[in-house]
Amino acid sequence: MAAPGGAEGASESPALWAEVRALLPRTEEGLTLALSDEVEDCVLPLLRRARALLYGTADRPGAAAAAGLERLSDVLRDYSWEKLNAGPWREIGKGWRQVYAYGCLFGALAEVAAGRPPVRAVRLCDLGLLMGAAVLDNVLARLVRALQPHVLRAGTAPAPREPPWRPGLPGAAPRGAEPAREGERPCLRGRLQPPHPALRPEEVIPHLHCPSLEHFRDNYLIPQRPVVLEGVMDHWPCMKKWSVDYFCRVAGCRTVPVELGARYTDEEWSQQLMTVSDFISQYIMDENSVGYLAQHQLFDQIPELKEDISIPDYCCLGEGEEDDITINAWFGPGGTISPLHQDPQQNFLAQVFGRKYIRLCSPQDSENLYPHESQILHNTSQVDVEDPDLAKFPNFTKAAFQSCILMPGQILFIPVKYWHYVRSLELSFSVSFWWS
Amino acid sequence: SMAAAARVWLAFGFSPEEAAGEPGPGPGPWRLEAGPEGISRVWPAWSYVVVDTGERPRPARSAGLEVRSAGLRRPLPGWAEALPSETHLVLRGRAAARAWPREAALRGELRDEPAWSRELPPEPRQPLPLLPGGFATPRPPFFTALPAGLRARRLVLGTEHVLALGAGGEVFTWGGGRHGQLGHGLLEPEVQPRLVEALGGVPMQAVAAGGWHSASVSEAGDLYVWGWNESGQLALPSKALAEERAREEDTGEQLAAEDAAFISIQAFPALLDLPEELEVSAVSCGSRHTAVVTRGGELYTWGWGKYGQLGHGNNISSDQARRVEHLVAKGLRVEEVVCGPWTTYVRVREP
Repeated sequence: MAAPGGAEGASESPALWAEVRALLPRTEEGLTLALSDEVEDCVLPLLRRARALLYGTADRPGAAAAAGLERLSDVLRDYSWEKLNAGPWREIGKGWRQVYAYGCLFGALAEVAAGRPPVRAVRLCDLGLLMGAAVLDNVLARLVRALQPHVLRAGTAPAPREPPWRPGLPGAAPRGAEPAREGERPCLRGRLQPPHPALRPEEVIPHLHCPSLEHFRDNYLIPQRPVVLEGVMDHWPCMKKWSVDYFCRVAGCRTVPVELGARYTDEEWSQQLMTVSDFISQYIMDENSVGYLAQHQLFDQIPELKEDISIPDYCCLGEGEEDDITINAWFGPGGTISPLHQDPQQNFLAQVFGRKYIRLCSPQDSENLYPHESQILHNTSQVDVEDPDLAKFPNFTKAAFQSCILMPGQILFIPVKYWHYVRSLELSFSVSFWWS
Repeated sequence: SMAAAARVWLAFGFSPEEAAGEPGPGPGPWRLEAGPEGISRVWPAWSYVVVDTGERPRPARSAGLEVRSAGLRRPLPGWAEALPSETHLVLRGRAAARAWPREAALRGELRDEPAWSRELPPEPRQPLPLLPGGFATPRPPFFTALPAGLRARRLVLGTEHVLALGAGGEVFTWGGGRHGQLGHGLLEPEVQPRLVEALGGVPMQAVAAGGWHSASVSEAGDLYVWGWNESGQLALPSKALAEERAREEDTGEQLAAEDAAFISIQAFPALLDLPEELEVSAVSCGSRHTAVVTRGGELYTWGWGKYGQLGHGNNISSDQARRVEHLVAKGLRVEEVVCGPWTTYVRVREP
């Protein structure tokens, strides 16, 4: 029996180093360490020291240099991580996120230089992609693509402790919000989910098959009316390719943020970083507790998956560039709930597999929906849509709702600021497109 | 002399050498070099430390403060107190407080125009960051006025928040509150100093601020903690540390059962039960760790330990208060503790 990882990894490591080294600038001067804005002077000698270790030998850095590089990576990541947490995410300078990315880069390179199996190197690249800002022409994305084929599918090493996933990552609130004091943890055990309530005919959202751009614009976009679009995504490769097994295969070793707890307003709700395979084995195959890979820009992190989807043509009716469209993945078991909330952009919610029960309410009804008073949860209603406390929230009955069961292959148009409540009825994958 | 030799500062954790990318003295403890007078006070930043060598001017040129970074020691003549950071160094003398950029301070070049300056009345003196009428910060805007009614006798700075100890032992907090570090039970910011009502009726003798956590010691010697517990810095059960232990010991099954007991954010002050009901005389917080001195002269530490800052001779984080055995074994009585961001400095009396 072959030794797990070690021997095999060691034999291929010189080749892997050469492959990885080719992604970096040829000369030490070429790796400029340029930062977009100012950071504290104290990190600059550490960045330069790490670079010198990297370029110190013509060949692969030796054991001592690799150990030095690893330590510098730790210090740079720990120091910049504290800066990333030193205020609201939007106010964090890009320079500090780049220092974090450099820390991850040096750490990943130290792993390869030391000849260790690249599981931790892939994890470091992902941390840099998730929390850092791009450096060296997005070298972390290129590096992880080179490393990923070398990760053995089985025998994932235990992940070393990283500081917790910070709340308040980029992306619209409220999912970045911290746990509120409201809400009960719903009891969702086993595979059977509560069925969706019967849809009242007057509540049903209209369905259209591939309307023309003009028809969509004049009848839905301009008047800001929700609609379910059919036939638009039938030919996206994801419809045939995507499955739990497929994600394990193409992204199993990749680290992603996962929301723990049925809904983000729960006291116990938290976010955690874990690999896609750990997420699948702990929360998809085994549903003892609710975990949700939610509101994550997976397609920026793993561009291969982006080839399986398309941006709906209707987005061209907006004023933004295509690059300004935020594409998020929503992958989870049955029973995940997004409490009634509103987002600041137009949204196409495309259902790839599984069904979702969705209720919508116009922003004109906001006063009947009792938004949370705290700043962070101001775009979220306090009312549990499927079990409203009418003694506490009597005006809720005045709100006019529309509903649908979103089926695979359907795209729901949710106008800007439209309130929406979403519950997955079974294992589900959705892709949302936020555009303006 | 014998008396001077008995007053010694030891340090453990992240060293100025390592901050410069050079090999450090190891996790320590290492001893701060001192002259015949010893060192009376230390003010650590991340990459350097300012010490008071106690050499009071008899020859007019010699002075108390000295800045120490990797391989460098520069005198800071004429200054009595320091408030350092990685962008600026604030110094207070008899008649003025000034701030210089870190680079100038590390070179000992304080002749140039300071980044900030404020003339001070002769008396009374309160310890930095307090200044008459307000307090100093070692980065712009350097000075913030305090409301006239707030008579603070101590003030400490966290990364985003501030704690003040009032004349009657009451605690005020303000600034960022996303991690519960203000102790008002909410995660919202406070612009103005706000009394921590949960501590009402318990007069405090000391306050400390970490990066995102806070601590206070009552006159009776009880310790209160609040804020972020991500590395166990509150000595409350930390999920991340439990998971780390479970991975090492492979006892993952038990983790779920304990789940409810973990605390990530403690938004109200919590009274901490120390081993053997020890009474606390002093507390100091690093960015993610905490250290206390007991009335018996022992040091207890907990929180983030990756750089050896807990003094237990390893790099393990702890969500439980642990006595620093090394000092006990050497018969060293701890008199004072001052944490840098990733470092712990203790003043000890040798037997």
